Amino acid sequence: MEMRIIKDVLGASVLGGEDRLGESVEHIYASDLMSDVLAFGKPYSMLLTGLATQQAVISAHMAEFKGVVFIRGKKPKDGAEQFARDNQLVLLSTDLDMFDACARLDESWKKEHHALEKGATEYKREEILLSRELCINGNDFTNAGLVSTQVKSILKKIGLDPKLVRRVAISTYEGEMNVVMHAKSARVNLSITPKLIEVVIDDEGKGIPDVQQAMEEGFTTATEEMRAMGFGSGMGLPNIRKNSDELEVSSEVDKGTKVQMRFFI
Amino acid sequence: MTINELVGSVGLKPLSTFEDRDISGVFVSDMVSDVMAGAKSGNLWLTIQTHKSVIPAANLVDVSAVIITGGKEIPQETVELASKYSIAVLSSELPTFELVGKLYELGLGK
Repeated sequence: MEMRIIKDVLGASVLGGEDRLGESVEHIYASDLMSDVLAFGKPYSMLLTGLATQQAVISAHMAEFKGVVFIRGKKPKDGAEQFARDNQLVLLSTDLDMFDACARLDESWKKEHHALEKGATEYKREEILLSRELCINGNDFTNAGLVSTQVKSILKKIGLDPKLVRRVAISTYEGEMNVVMHAKSARVNLSITPKLIEVVIDDEGKGIPDVQQAMEEGFTTATEEMRAMGFGSGMGLPNIRKNSDELEVSSEVDKGTKVQMRFFI
Repeated sequence: MTINELVGSVGLKPLSTFEDRDISGVFVSDMVSDVMAGAKSGNLWLTIQTHKSVIPAANLVDVSAVIITGGKEIPQETVELASKYSIAVLSSELPTFELVGKLYELGLGK
């Protein structure tokens, strides 16, 4: 987390090291006992403390911390600011008490990590190893399943873990059958990065009025004919959810449905 | 037990060309999604579905063979696609229930 964000989250004032606020810390450590900081603090951390002395800043420096936040509006008097300047530490001061400061930081820390995970696709887009675009035709039961078969053989050729390949294959198959049964056509995008496999099935068709309902096991709008073929048992989307690590379904009635599934390698 | 050994012992008729392999258990279902969700790699899949789409599904879940029960007539295009993927398609004159009984006696249920 960037120290500037810590400053904003805590509404803190900057006592020193303003030019270093753009740097990030990897942990936050809260303590008033400096021997604890030295024993348990990890490098590149931010220290939260009620001890407004030069000793706190020296300990932070010894433990290779990047900065110190003084709580309850405290400001160190002795040579702390000078020491921080000499040793390139960021010093902040917040009016919050220890509990509130920790709680706020914990909350935004989690949000940031969640956002990072969510944004994983964006960031990983830069390092795509392989990407393929395939097409599915709606109502084409003759060729149903061939796109997912192709996806499977691509993944198999790369030498990915067979269990992972299986999960991707099953999920893609269910997505493909949904297109065959309910849509006009779809583009399938397969992309592989060192960390994940993404399959996006973007169809043109009637869309899903209630995605939540469609995700329920057993819910189906398939015709008798499709059901006689063993399809449309209302297990498609639930099967995808079960086999993928991340699933997003968005739909617009009379336009189409987009199913994005991700699998972590 | 392998597919070729099984063919002789319960009177199955092989229709496609395939590579012999070991069998690990049996899965019975006529709902494709059910197979996708529940069948394990190497399972025999017993079904009365004969249409071509059975083959990609069988390939994706990596079943060892598809056994079509009840002596149902199987379209040629299903057999051709199966041969293309080297998936064993076997036909049995027995209804599913009776075939399951025989497979169970052979120890495939354990």
